Amino acid sequence: MKKKLLSLLLVGLMGASIVACGDTGSGSTSSGNSSKSIRLVNGKIEVDSQLKKLAEMYEEETGVHVEIESMGGGIDIQGELKAYYQSDNMPDIFVCGGAADFDNWDGLLQDMSDQAWVSDTDAAYTSDDGVVGFPYTTEAVGLAYNADILSAAGVDPASITGPESMRKAFETIDSKKDELGLTAVIGYYAEPVNLYWSTGNHLFGNYLDAGLDRDDRTYIDMLSDGGKLDDARFADFADMVELFNEYADQSLLVSGTYDQQILNFASGKYAFVTQGSWIGATMTGDDANAYKEAGNFECGMIPYAFEEGIDTILTNSPSWWAVYNGGNVTEAEAFLQWMAGDEAQEVLVMEAGFISPYKSCTYVANDPFAETISEYTAAGKTSAWHWLEMTDGYSQNYTGQVFADFASGTLSKEEFISTFKQVTENAYAQ
Amino acid sequence: MNTDSKKSLSLVLLAAGCFGIISALALDITGSQFVFRGALLIIGAIAFLGGLYFYPTEKHHKTIINIIFLFPLLFCFVVTVIIPFGLGLFYSTTDWNGIRMTAFVGLSNYKAMFTEISFLWSLIITVLFVIINMIAVNVIGLALAVLCTSKIRAVGFFRAAYFIPNLIGGIVLGYLWQFVFNNVVLNWTLKLFEYNSSMLSKYNTAFFAIVLVYIWQYAGYIMMIYITGLTTVPTDVIEAASIDGATAVQTFFKIKLPMIASTITICTFLTLQSAFKQFDVNMALTNGTGSVNFMGQYLTNGTQMLALNIYNTAITKNNYALGQAKAVLFFIILSIVSIIQVRVSNKREVEM
Repeated sequence: MKKKLLSLLLVGLMGASIVACGDTGSGSTSSGNSSKSIRLVNGKIEVDSQLKKLAEMYEEETGVHVEIESMGGGIDIQGELKAYYQSDNMPDIFVCGGAADFDNWDGLLQDMSDQAWVSDTDAAYTSDDGVVGFPYTTEAVGLAYNADILSAAGVDPASITGPESMRKAFETIDSKKDELGLTAVIGYYAEPVNLYWSTGNHLFGNYLDAGLDRDDRTYIDMLSDGGKLDDARFADFADMVELFNEYADQSLLVSGTYDQQILNFASGKYAFVTQGSWIGATMTGDDANAYKEAGNFECGMIPYAFEEGIDTILTNSPSWWAVYNGGNVTEAEAFLQWMAGDEAQEVLVMEAGFISPYKSCTYVANDPFAETISEYTAAGKTSAWHWLEMTDGYSQNYTGQVFADFASGTLSKEEFISTFKQVTENAYAQ
Repeated sequence: MNTDSKKSLSLVLLAAGCFGIISALALDITGSQFVFRGALLIIGAIAFLGGLYFYPTEKHHKTIINIIFLFPLLFCFVVTVIIPFGLGLFYSTTDWNGIRMTAFVGLSNYKAMFTEISFLWSLIITVLFVIINMIAVNVIGLALAVLCTSKIRAVGFFRAAYFIPNLIGGIVLGYLWQFVFNNVVLNWTLKLFEYNSSMLSKYNTAFFAIVLVYIWQYAGYIMMIYITGLTTVPTDVIEAASIDGATAVQTFFKIKLPMIASTITICTFLTLQSAFKQFDVNMALTNGTGSVNFMGQYLTNGTQMLALNIYNTAITKNNYALGQAKAVLFFIILSIVSIIQVRVSNKREVEM
């Protein structure tokens, strides 16, 4: 009898513990609905602390708790979000990187056309459902240069307007490499495992957009139509890549990492680097010491002028925040509206180093590239980032490797062009 | 308690249990936020099992007890293995993209998978990788085991040293070796042959690099198993051999090796299975890159093994259904290997 009692007690205990678990689990969700809390999945892990600060400010002001969940550093955010969706654990606001991402979530995103911030920016993402993407920063892709080295070598960056002047500038700098303390003229890395996005997305993005108007879709439409490339334009582009291969840092050309690339540029070992405006944050952050030793040189950006007359750099919102329409929509929209306002913009620009996509924002970041981007934007010399619309996995699984093979000399320029065409067709055949 | 009242109690419990389970499931499916639905499900299940236990029957009592005791295990197995597997089979015949499905596509995912040259390449190099590793890891592991059971000094230190790589996670290990190949080995080749690309940038050398890292990681583990095998060889047999004048080499091949035959079988299948499932080192080291010309096509996944190919298809190429179809094939291959393994080891045990 005693044993039976004991077993009954145990069963009761087990049941009670399960009931208790159920209680806490559902308790938190119910509190999530009633006591005003929203969750944001952020794709820029480097500004995690600034966003958390903003969340605190917002909670103080309105009483709404904002949970920041940052992902990055190789995590496939979309894959993670899909898992959240399957387990009914969707955040209220999450990051979307481009057309493919937005298409996936088609019908599940809140149309924010009625929000006040929409009229304050040109960078919102619009789909068939309406305005679904909230822009939070602007990034620029151009050929970044070290102004001090260029002036010491007697090269005026404004004189680089086409392939010939670019080659001449490279040759001039190359001949003075030793006295300038350079390792190589250009920090061009074509490593395929971790840097495929630099070549496959950003550099190739110049083939798609450089020199074109922001709404000119000529080359992206050709690409989307079964993976077609424009022969003449791509040949000119290949010439430029060949030039980069020739004047790059040979020991790191196909094996270097992003960190090495930025560190070497910040230390003044390269005159040019094939990265965009986001490296400013790394140069003044992680690499601040090296950058200081190199004299905190001025930076600028020139267009990738692989054809005569290309005079634009590529600027765009790199990703957007979307609001899940099954979540806490009102609170999420209110938070985004607040993020577009003056108080939040000050933190985003001055502390996170963002370049605001909002017209009403008057802050200018203390970033090496902020000035040059403002100049290009003011002069209307910017093109869009249509590479965001390329097919899924195109650079990672296809073209990144082709750039690397060209760099290592496995492919000649002719083979580079023909191989590039072949893999592009394969990528778009699927 | 007489039989009748017992029977009615058990029937009441059974009915209440069924009602509890069904209503809990119905609540969940209709999307109700009722807090106790989980508890209701558990209480229902317990009531049902209690009713089953109290049911007055002489004939089936033993079966019922067996079922009740097996229930927790079966439940876990069904929830974590059988149901996901069924769902996987189902999704492989749709156009599921991880968020929703719009249509059934029949077997076209399976068809697409075998016409995809890059997938065939992945299959081939995976098989090649498995064969090379099965031999190399076992030979090296056995050699290390022989060394570590001989009478050299500091045997304990060597055993630990060889085993430690196995304790490091595959991703960390991959990045460590990536640094070695890209920064150390590259500098040697640059100095010696003026060869500017790292070992990891060409598919053939990169494949060799993965094999190398895998052996480094796994040989120590296999060594440990062989050491256990070797130490169980009875000393009287070895003594008898040495009295008969057998040399060390003869003792090893004629006495020790046959005595540890069952260990060899275990190790062979262990390496075979784990090499098939190779993922983390592959991902961290090369992420499948490396170009190769195969069947008249330029492929960019020169070092992409099967598991990584499945992952890539689903996640980066955003084709969950096709990835699922490939995973089904992967399951079939692995289960064939496992079945053979069980058969072979059973036979051996009878012989011994």
